[in-house]
Amino acid sequence: MKLLALTLSLAAFAQVQHEQIAKGAAEDWLTYAGNYAGWRYSPLNQITSANAKNLAAKWVYHVPGARGLKSSPIVYQGVLYVTNTNSIYAIDGRSGRLIWQYADPRSKSNSVDRGAAIWGDRVYFTTSDNYLVALNRHTGALIFNRKFADIELGTTSASAPLIAKGKVIVGSSGGDSGMRGFVMALSADTGETLWKTYTVPAKGEKGAETWGDLIDYGGGAAWLSGTFDPASNTLYWTTGNPWPDYNGDVRKGDNLYTCSLIALDLNTGKMKWYFQFTPHDTHDWDAQSWPVLLDTEIDGKPRKAVLHANRNGFFYALDRETGEFLRATQLIDKVTWAKGIDAKGRPIELPNAQPTPQGNWVCPSVKGATNWMGQSYNPGTGLLYVLTLEQCGMYFKSSQEPVPMKNFSGGGATEEGGQVILRALDPKTGKRTWEYPMTGVGRMWTGTVSTAGGVLFTGDDDGHFVALDAKSGRNLWHFNLGETLTASPVVYSIDGKQYVAIPSATAVFAFGLFERAVGVEPPVIRMR
Amino acid sequence: MRPLAIAALALPLLAQHGRYLSDSQHPSIGNPQAVAAGSKLFMGSCAGCHGPDGGGGARGPNLVRRSLWHPLSDDAIFNVIRKGVPSAGMPPTQLPDDQTWNLVAFLHALTGPASTNPVPGDAAAGKAIYSGAKAGCANCHAIRGQGGHLGPDLSNIGGSRPLAVIREAIVEPAKDLYYLGNEAATVTLKNGKTLKGVAKNRSNYSLQFVDTAGRLHLIAMNDVRELALSSTTPMPTDYVKRLTRDELRDLLAYLAAQDIRK
Repeated sequence: MKLLALTLSLAAFAQVQHEQIAKGAAEDWLTYAGNYAGWRYSPLNQITSANAKNLAAKWVYHVPGARGLKSSPIVYQGVLYVTNTNSIYAIDGRSGRLIWQYADPRSKSNSVDRGAAIWGDRVYFTTSDNYLVALNRHTGALIFNRKFADIELGTTSASAPLIAKGKVIVGSSGGDSGMRGFVMALSADTGETLWKTYTVPAKGEKGAETWGDLIDYGGGAAWLSGTFDPASNTLYWTTGNPWPDYNGDVRKGDNLYTCSLIALDLNTGKMKWYFQFTPHDTHDWDAQSWPVLLDTEIDGKPRKAVLHANRNGFFYALDRETGEFLRATQLIDKVTWAKGIDAKGRPIELPNAQPTPQGNWVCPSVKGATNWMGQSYNPGTGLLYVLTLEQCGMYFKSSQEPVPMKNFSGGGATEEGGQVILRALDPKTGKRTWEYPMTGVGRMWTGTVSTAGGVLFTGDDDGHFVALDAKSGRNLWHFNLGETLTASPVVYSIDGKQYVAIPSATAVFAFGLFERAVGVEPPVIRMR
Repeated sequence: MRPLAIAALALPLLAQHGRYLSDSQHPSIGNPQAVAAGSKLFMGSCAGCHGPDGGGGARGPNLVRRSLWHPLSDDAIFNVIRKGVPSAGMPPTQLPDDQTWNLVAFLHALTGPASTNPVPGDAAAGKAIYSGAKAGCANCHAIRGQGGHLGPDLSNIGGSRPLAVIREAIVEPAKDLYYLGNEAATVTLKNGKTLKGVAKNRSNYSLQFVDTAGRLHLIAMNDVRELALSSTTPMPTDYVKRLTRDELRDLLAYLAAQDIRK
């Protein structure tokens, strides 16, 4: 065919630009949390709290070989980009039909993957052995795959990349087995490294005095995408636990900058400030739960705030320009390791809460009062929706010699019973407005999304996808997805129709308002 | 291809156990000496019918492409060599066990990805042919972001296909295997708009269409008035004439080297 011999030009295509991502989700969902501030909020309002009872399933796409999808889809011009371990799928957002798939044939590691990113005409994801892969968004054709970190040093990659002004921000996983965490910026054009900031200082650097000899393997993994304030060019990233997880004897001190929120300059990676939620953590309470950026009143004063619901059981508000501690309230009912947070933001610890050889019973459990599942802030209701877990467990310490990169965590922990409760928090006061208790066994990891239609979508701990009234928490609709949910929903619109999609453990489901079916007339098909 | 050059395949065919089917524990599988010895046997006894690269000849079937679809186990290959296929005219052999296993080891390696085998030809010259006007491959196929978008991406072609399969796709692209899901098509929509390109994924209800500029269109069949499909591949079918034997060899050397793992 002659037409195929035409010289091709890609220059005229719609390109995803900074301004589109920065204005937040609408028809498209262009960054992990919907907008840079981490709101998981959609301004779409076709589906409302009044008509959500008419929601109906639109399609299902079964992701080949998936077991426990953790991906939050990216949506652009009607196409969903969903990742699984070392692979990515482009799915037609109206029909659920696969458009293309890319499975990395090279990676020798197979940890989880939390999602993709989009920029220009490319989609990006990372392989679990730390390659950034860039693909043509129309065809899935490879543009480049470029290594950014060495898996031999104990780091893997699980977070969705965050793209800010042409820089692809990635982080390290693997903090439970002895490695040195980092956040990196890579060029979206070429994949080359622009900067790399370690989350644990090197020997001799400032902060190294808060460690012992194991500082080189201190952990502080950065395994969840952060948020970004374009106005101040600041990235807000959270860091994981110090290593070994449960034995703090071998790392006396605060273990900076683990279990912290760090503010980094986008251009240089330089740390502007840090705030450590859990100094010298011994309960594996990573700070991963993303920082929500919000200009609001905190206890009566207008603030440029960053809100953080932490695994350690407290809900924090900080000044996002300075890192100053503003307030902490209790996120869950049962917290036994600290009786509160002092005026400087440091926990007031209680006795008998450390892991011991015989074990100590502590609340919250190792999974934490919340975790990386997505929170949602809705400017219409002024509420922040956080999935919390009321659960306790036994924490044990091992006195074995720590061996980096051998899955040694210095002890162990149990998770016993527990209940997931979705809580609507008022950022101004840190107090609960309503809550939605769930039945189940405390195993779910799904997140939330809320809309201008006044609807809050989430998964429940029994494998249902549910719609709640965002103002009151009243249940509006539910649909049984039939398996434990581990990913977060997104909202998008194609041709004027609003959809909400969520990956279950093995498939992607999409829902929209009920419409009567229209029979499809086959077109004239000619062979020539 | 020159039999002697193909014989060079034998040297380092590294272990490729289980590339398509892993069931043999025989020590010759993946053993470079066994593969080398098997290659010599193949050239002497098998290439006359099955082609020097196993890609099929006048009397014997393609051994390489077949394995993608119905891979024979190593033991089954051993038995076919030993007993022959009398109904199809393939004679039994009298080779001792160890030599028969050498032959199996060679066939096992031959069905592995092209990039893991040494191939004859000049890859740098092949790159120029790939990008140049005479072959025009890059008009439709991209490698690591360079090239067109109508044909399949070839960034990992050497890492995913045996050499003989790549060769066949170039010299006989009209075989249905190579264009399913890449139907050249013209779509006329009910709103009067016409699109030309490739139908990537077509059902009775929806169509995914990449136009000649490489832009993706998601189309509901209810919006389509007419779909004109080409009954043959959009790929040129004259490469045997268009390229010299050496040019084809060099092009194959370049394609064989395309491996995402490297």
